[in-house]
Amino acid sequence: MLSDMEGNPILTARHLPEMYRLCAEHFGGLPAFATRLSADSWLPLSFRDLYARGAKVAGGLMALGVQPGDAIGLISNNRVEWMLAEVGIQLCGAVNTPRGTDVTDEEWRYIFRHAQVKVAFAETPRELERLNRLRPEWPALRDVVLLTGDVPPGNTALTLEALGAMGATYLAAHPGACAHREAALAPTAIFTLIYTSGTTGQPKGVMLTHANMMSQIKQVPLELDCTDRVLSILPIWHVFERMFEVYTMSRGVCTYYTSRRMLATDLQEVEPTFMGSAPRLWESLHDRIVHTIRQAHPVRRALFHIAYHLSRWYRASLTFLRGETPTPPPSRRGYRWALLGAHALRWAVLLPGYGFFNAAVLEAVRLKAGGCLKATISGGGALPPVIDEFFTNIGITVLEGYGLTETSPVLAVRVEGKRVRGTVGPVIPGTEMRIVDVDSGQVRYPPPPDAYASTEANGIGIKGEIQVRGPQVMKGYYKEPALTRTVLSEEGWFRTGDLGAVTWNGCLRILGRCKSTIVLRNGENVEPEPIEARLGLCTHVEHVAVVGQDCKHLYALVVPDFEQFKKEGHPAHNRAALSRDPQAHRVVFDEIRASQANHQSAGRPQAIHAIHLLAEPFTPGEELTNLFKLKRHVIETKYRAELATLFAGAPGHRRSHQERA
Amino acid sequence: MNGEETLILHGVEQALLALMILIIMFGMGAGLTMADFRSVARRWRLVAIGFGSQFALMPLLAYSLARVLRLEPAHAIALILIGTLPGGSTSNMFTYFARGSVALSISMTTASTMAALVMMPLLLQLYTPRFVAELTAHHLAGPDHEFVIPTVNIIVSLALVLVPVAAGMWLRHRSRGWAKAAEDTASFMAISVIVFLISSTVIRHFPLLLATAPKVYLAAITVGMFGFLFGFVVSRCFGVYPIHQRAIALETGIQNGPIAFAIILLSFPGAALKNEMLWLGILYSTFIVATASGFTLWLRRWGKHDWEITKNARVHQRLFGPDYVTRYPAGFVPPRIQADPAQGEGDVKSRG
Repeated sequence: MLSDMEGNPILTARHLPEMYRLCAEHFGGLPAFATRLSADSWLPLSFRDLYARGAKVAGGLMALGVQPGDAIGLISNNRVEWMLAEVGIQLCGAVNTPRGTDVTDEEWRYIFRHAQVKVAFAETPRELERLNRLRPEWPALRDVVLLTGDVPPGNTALTLEALGAMGATYLAAHPGACAHREAALAPTAIFTLIYTSGTTGQPKGVMLTHANMMSQIKQVPLELDCTDRVLSILPIWHVFERMFEVYTMSRGVCTYYTSRRMLATDLQEVEPTFMGSAPRLWESLHDRIVHTIRQAHPVRRALFHIAYHLSRWYRASLTFLRGETPTPPPSRRGYRWALLGAHALRWAVLLPGYGFFNAAVLEAVRLKAGGCLKATISGGGALPPVIDEFFTNIGITVLEGYGLTETSPVLAVRVEGKRVRGTVGPVIPGTEMRIVDVDSGQVRYPPPPDAYASTEANGIGIKGEIQVRGPQVMKGYYKEPALTRTVLSEEGWFRTGDLGAVTWNGCLRILGRCKSTIVLRNGENVEPEPIEARLGLCTHVEHVAVVGQDCKHLYALVVPDFEQFKKEGHPAHNRAALSRDPQAHRVVFDEIRASQANHQSAGRPQAIHAIHLLAEPFTPGEELTNLFKLKRHVIETKYRAELATLFAGAPGHRRSHQERA
Repeated sequence: MNGEETLILHGVEQALLALMILIIMFGMGAGLTMADFRSVARRWRLVAIGFGSQFALMPLLAYSLARVLRLEPAHAIALILIGTLPGGSTSNMFTYFARGSVALSISMTTASTMAALVMMPLLLQLYTPRFVAELTAHHLAGPDHEFVIPTVNIIVSLALVLVPVAAGMWLRHRSRGWAKAAEDTASFMAISVIVFLISSTVIRHFPLLLATAPKVYLAAITVGMFGFLFGFVVSRCFGVYPIHQRAIALETGIQNGPIAFAIILLSFPGAALKNEMLWLGILYSTFIVATASGFTLWLRRWGKHDWEITKNARVHQRLFGPDYVTRYPAGFVPPRIQADPAQGEGDVKSRG
């Protein structure tokens, strides 16, 4: 057993079954999870009961003939029963294959067939009905368990209670069955298959091992103990939430399940001390707070603005003094000392005013989020800088983190002393990271040992693909060795497909993607190539690049087909004029829309939200490779201004705090 | 020094001060309910410890400081006056941020404000005779006057100060919303006026700032700090829970400064005497904000673990039912709060 900086125990184990058992032994009657019954009334589930009930589920699964390594499907949203099923599956040594109820039929069909799911858990009778419809395509599926609700007549599914009762009988007949499976389980065994969503292309099953998960429990640097309360809102099958649930359990933290609809109420009721979520939630919380302030009495509003800006200046100076700025201080010594002095002076002058307004005004704002938040963590997409700044300035620490499903997931997170805004903090202990030049494949950071120590050669600030090696990197994609080899080298380096650079103070800054996959703000993965291929067929389109990383929607940069327009008698006499012509814009956009409407059958349609016409065609060596593939990082840099207008012009896109508040 | 000296606070400032006292006391009343009076009775043991700390310990500390530092009689009387003051609503705010029991703080403020009517004159009679004699000897109160503590005037001033409190309570009784608005406005107005008064006085009397003897500063700064320290130690000796220790310590050190100004201006004779006394009051009010902030930050850090245990237990009781008992692993709860992790008190007022 390790302990954290405050001397509180951190449970460590070889694998999940051992971890769940240790939690039950160590934290016993403390609540592990809680669900809302009604206003100010929640139902706790203790660590001991969770394990006891989970063991019965495990017994039930054993009675159904589940063997270690068998895939178990779990289609459910966040609920305590999810955890019961999870504990049961793990104690059995089986592999949890989860997805939320928003899974499409197509994905569901593929996942269960690909993973050869033997037993499936369905959340409600609704999922049960969908499952029965798809069932003929899964010959391997033997039994189905319903998590909540009643089994409709004529259905052979078991309820969770019935499974538990079966398990109790089984365990009575086979005492020590759970202990036996626990002892036989290897840390290198797979505990889950997480299929990453994608609208095009098949979902990929990420194989994560017990050792992957246990390394995260040990290495992710957050300070939590049994007095903490965590509000859970991310989809539970999402890798971060998955890891975080076990992480909190290992510290004896109680997790309270909430939903988007109940969030505002639950923040007040639970008074959480910690929360993890995707950027979208912080945006909506920010919008809600700003809205309340705008509705408030003018005096209060004025007071808030005074408090906010005092805090902004105060913290800006503090950030400088602590060396937590993303850019290094000026290199000229005189200037640096002058700046240091100025910041120290400003810090000291603002301290009393900040102290007062922080206590009198900002505390009231923080109370809207329960008032006890020690820190929050954001991951699964880039946090807009405006949001980041807003929460920091009102005194809620936002720790931005970085990771992927393939890395279980945390690779880097901001920690005390390295809370550098605009970065995702330093790489966590035990993980190696390097920055590799996209075109040449040379390692730029850490610098090769023979490099001399100039800024260029020390690798600071050089952009390249982030590659990582560490105990959290996945075993591979399930039954896709070829695909696995494209991302995982023989030396164990994993290619993240993200571009990044290391700041002067050792933090990682994410600068876009070099893989083509676009991750929208809601976490959805979109492969742009098939969309581009389809749109390229439009008569008025010469070249097209689909963009939208971290945006709400997809956008397209389009080079209109000048020859085609000329043939149709368009008056524009050159490409530049054509690209500025509103009518041409309409013609192209209409054709794109029509083309997309015809292809709605393939999964969820990914509509292009807005387009921008470019004057110059893409050229090989510049925007295109010699094989005419798009160089996305070049396009993103070259058309940065155009993209900014495109994103800003779209309704619902974020403007700065000052404009909104 | 002579009797024709002008007051260090000029007319506008005096009017502002009067307004501030009015507003502060009104706001304090607007925050009080009958339930607060009832909880004084319910928590009588804790309130009694706080009461002792405020009315036995603090005046004694002030007296001892005055003797040890050999203060001028006027300063000494002012210091003792400050020592005998009841607690103010400022202490409630600091207690909130120090994660102490706000409910206890409010109870103690309520109890001490009412008791001040009797306790202050009594305590002044007890501690000041020595300095009053010195004062008479120095003819500070006037050439042929024998100086006496103006007991009746003090009682009248205190009663006058309590009028807006009663008015505030009446408002609270009539309309909750308006009372809330009054309470919020009061704290802001009070702070802005006090900041203005202190800065304008300090700027206008900058030479005085330099002329003031170091021992006067020492007295003005340390009287509050000793209050915190002894309040904390004494309540620890009585074995109360940490959240109550924090409340009692802050309540002991933070006094209701505006009442001191009201009493000095309304009850004491002679501009010279008033000036010396006011000056100490101004210094105390200025420094107590800084020392209380520092002490609060220290309490916050020191009591972090205790507070988190208490807070968590309270949330559990609120959400899982009043009978829910949070059982931590062995050794997690420190002995000082082991007897009752929830510390028996679920009615801490939430702010905002």
